[in-house]
Formats: sequence, C-alpha cells, structure tokens
Amino acid sequence: MSGIIAFLRKFYFLVLFLCLEIASLVFVFTNNYYHEAGFFNSSNRITGGVYSAYSGILSYFNLKNVNAQLAQENTRLLNLVSERKDTSNHKKSPETNPFGEQFNFIPAGVIDNSTNLPNNYITLNAGSEQGIGEGMGVISPQGIVGVVIKTSAHYSVVMSLLHKKILVSVMFKKSGTFGTLSWNEELTPHANWPGGDYRFATLAQIPMSEKIRIGDTITTSGYSNIFPKGIMVGTVYDYKSIPELYFYVIRVKLSTDFKNLKYVYVVTDLKKIEKENLETTAENSLNDKKK
Amino acid sequence: MIIEIGKNILRFLFFILLQVTIVRHLDLGIYFNPFFFIGAILMLPLQADKTLVLVIAFVAGLVVDMFYNTMGMNAAACTFMAFCRPWALQIYSPAGEYNADATATVGSMGVGWMIRYAGTLILLHHTVLFYLEAFSFYGFFTTLAKVILSSIATLILILITQSLFFRNVS
Repeated sequence: MSGIIAFLRKFYFLVLFLCLEIASLVFVFTNNYYHEAGFFNSSNRITGGVYSAYSGILSYFNLKNVNAQLAQENTRLLNLVSERKDTSNHKKSPETNPFGEQFNFIPAGVIDNSTNLPNNYITLNAGSEQGIGEGMGVISPQGIVGVVIKTSAHYSVVMSLLHKKILVSVMFKKSGTFGTLSWNEELTPHANWPGGDYRFATLAQIPMSEKIRIGDTITTSGYSNIFPKGIMVGTVYDYKSIPELYFYVIRVKLSTDFKNLKYVYVVTDLKKIEKENLETTAENSLNDKKK
Repeated sequence: MIIEIGKNILRFLFFILLQVTIVRHLDLGIYFNPFFFIGAILMLPLQADKTLVLVIAFVAGLVVDMFYNTMGMNAAACTFMAFCRPWALQIYSPAGEYNADATATVGSMGVGWMIRYAGTLILLHHTVLFYLEAFSFYGFFTTLAKVILSSIATLILILITQSLFFRNVS
C-alpha cells in the first residue's frame, strides 16, 4: 500500500496526464451521437449563444445573397404551384406541398458551418421546440445538406453531407438506378480522387449496365425516409469503371453551395412520426394487457 | 496575484472566442486549419505549476471541442501538449534559468526563442489532433501536410496576436 502511495507521489504528473488523456480518448471513441444525451456539442446554450451572436453580426453582410436565393426559391415554388393548377384537375388543394402529405418542412437559419475540416457539422438556430428531432433530413433550396444528429430546445447540430460517416441513398433521375453517396474517399480507394473537397462527393455501386453521361442529374431515392424522393443532390462530374468489381464509381458535383449556406429546411416525415406513435401505443397497450 | 489570475482567464476567453468565431471561419482550404487558441496555454506563466497547466489545457480543449463538435480530440491534443511543455521549457531555457518575470512572449524572450518553443509544442499538438481526426493512416502524407501547414499558420497567428495585443507584457 505504502509502495503505491510512494509511486503516486513520485509519478503523479504522469499519472494525471494518463488519466486525462484516457478520459479524452474515451470521449472520442464512445461519442455515438444518436444515443448520447451529452452536453458537449454545439447545440448547448453557451456555444449556441456565441454562434448566434456571431452569425447575427455577419448576416448583415450576406443579405444581398440571401435575398437573391430566396427570390429564386420563391419563383421555383410559384412555378410549381401554377403547373399543378394548370395541367391537372387535382382533387387535392393547391396548398399541399409538392411531396404530398408525407413531408413537412421546418425553416431554420444556419448559425455555424464549416467546409474544410475532415468532418463538418452545421449548427442551426432551431431545435426541438420548433419540432426538429434527431435523424431528420436537412435540405436547402439548392439540394440536400445533411442529417440532424443532436437537438436542444433552441439549437440543433447537423451532420453535414461533408462528413465521413454520412451515407445517402441516391439515384439517377432519368433511369432510377440507385447507389450510395458518401464524402469518404477511403470508401472508394480505387478511384483515387482527392478527398476533402466541399464541392464533390462520391457515388459508388452503380452497375456497369448504366449508361452514364457527364452532367446527368442525381437526386435522392427516397428509400431511407430521411429525405423525400427526388431532392436534388448534384450532377455527374467524372466517372471511372472498376472492372474487377463490375461497378462504376462516380464523382458527383454537389448542387448545394456549402460555403454560402444561410437558410435550410428540416424535413419531418409525417408517416414516420405516425408509425412511431402507432408503435408506442401498440407497445403501451401490450404492456397494459400484461398487467 | 488575483490580478494575475484574472489576466490569465481573460487571455483564455480572448483566444478561445477569436478561435471559434474568426479563425474558424478564415477558410484557407483543407490544408490550413490553425488552432491558434493554444497560444493561451503557451502563454501561461513560465513558473506555473505543471499539474495546473495540465488541467487547464484539458478544460480549454474540451471547450473548443464543444464548438467544433469534435468531442475529446482537442482535449487529448492539448493535454499532451501541456504534458510536453515543461520539457520544452527546459530544453530551450536560456543559460539554465528563466528570469522571475519572464513570460512566453516575443517581447520578453525574443522571436527566436518564441518560434522554437511555440513551434515545437504547436507541432506536437497538431500532430495528435489531426491524426486523431483522420482516425486512420489512410492518406498519411495528406494528414502530415495538414499538420505542418496548419502548424505554420498557427505559429504566425500567435506571433501576430502577440505583437498586436501583448506587446506591453515585456
């Protein structure tokens, strides 16, 4: 016992260092966003407050750009509404959104964003009080943005599409052939494209039977329930065939301009919520019967 | 003594706020990600208790991690840097001893000493941080380039900040 104390007294600096280092590494490697109720992310009140104050100052310098973007989005939506009114005698009222009754959109402002880190996150100025929940998709007028991984009452953290862990199910708009989009160059080492570029992502697992042309449009496939079907992702910039795997890998030029992201929409899937509610009520009634 | 502690706390707030607002958004491409806030750890009093420095570095790292959503990575890197600080101070000590009122600034110790002392520790910090962030040795040389270029950027930013805001320290 006295030996241990003497040892600690002699090496307390080293021991403390090792303890703190191990604590940090535990944080790093156990950081599972979906199931962790931690404080240490940019959705908490301190970081959220600093970011919204900072972006509040900067937002004045971007008003011109933001206005232009919103005007463009308005035009696009007006066109969509008038198309629906003109071309078909839909029984649905024109107010319903173009994705049918399944999806709702919550507007949010971007208060922090990065594009040049190995894994990028976006902080939004809306949280669970506005109806945002973990696992929801985030889109911009130009295309997809990411997935919500953490919410607090007034802020939320989004895993950007520019993150090594994100995988999105996407498809060719014209043919419907689908594949998986990622921003992790390690997943497609044979393509040998430089990673870390905020303008590009990689689409893998497209069969050799697909006829690809540069400039083809890639959209979301809607298989994952995170994004509605048909949201713009980007266009084909370059492609390579991997003969031994019978697959193409495709370099996709992303349509979203991640450097100038100011306003986004969070996608809530009403059917998913309905399904979850149904499941909980079913569970509750089962539990009641057991009692 | 209390003034001294207050000064150090203010210096930390100043460096961390600058880091998470302005430096974070400098946007110099993927090879330049300066983590200049570690300047606050480097500029702690030379005579400060090394255990205290270790704890301060750990906490400062955690705070920055919160802003970057990189839980634990900066904490690990900063703790490692603080662990190496006594050693760096020792090998770069001028003729054996530091003056009692010496501080880790250009004004007090000279540019040459500052570049050697800060450069070494910045390089150690960035090496740990960037390899943890990459989390694999895929793209080993890309990460190495990031470490070296970002370290240079950090060093330059710290030297500029010192010459702008901490000139009167000497």
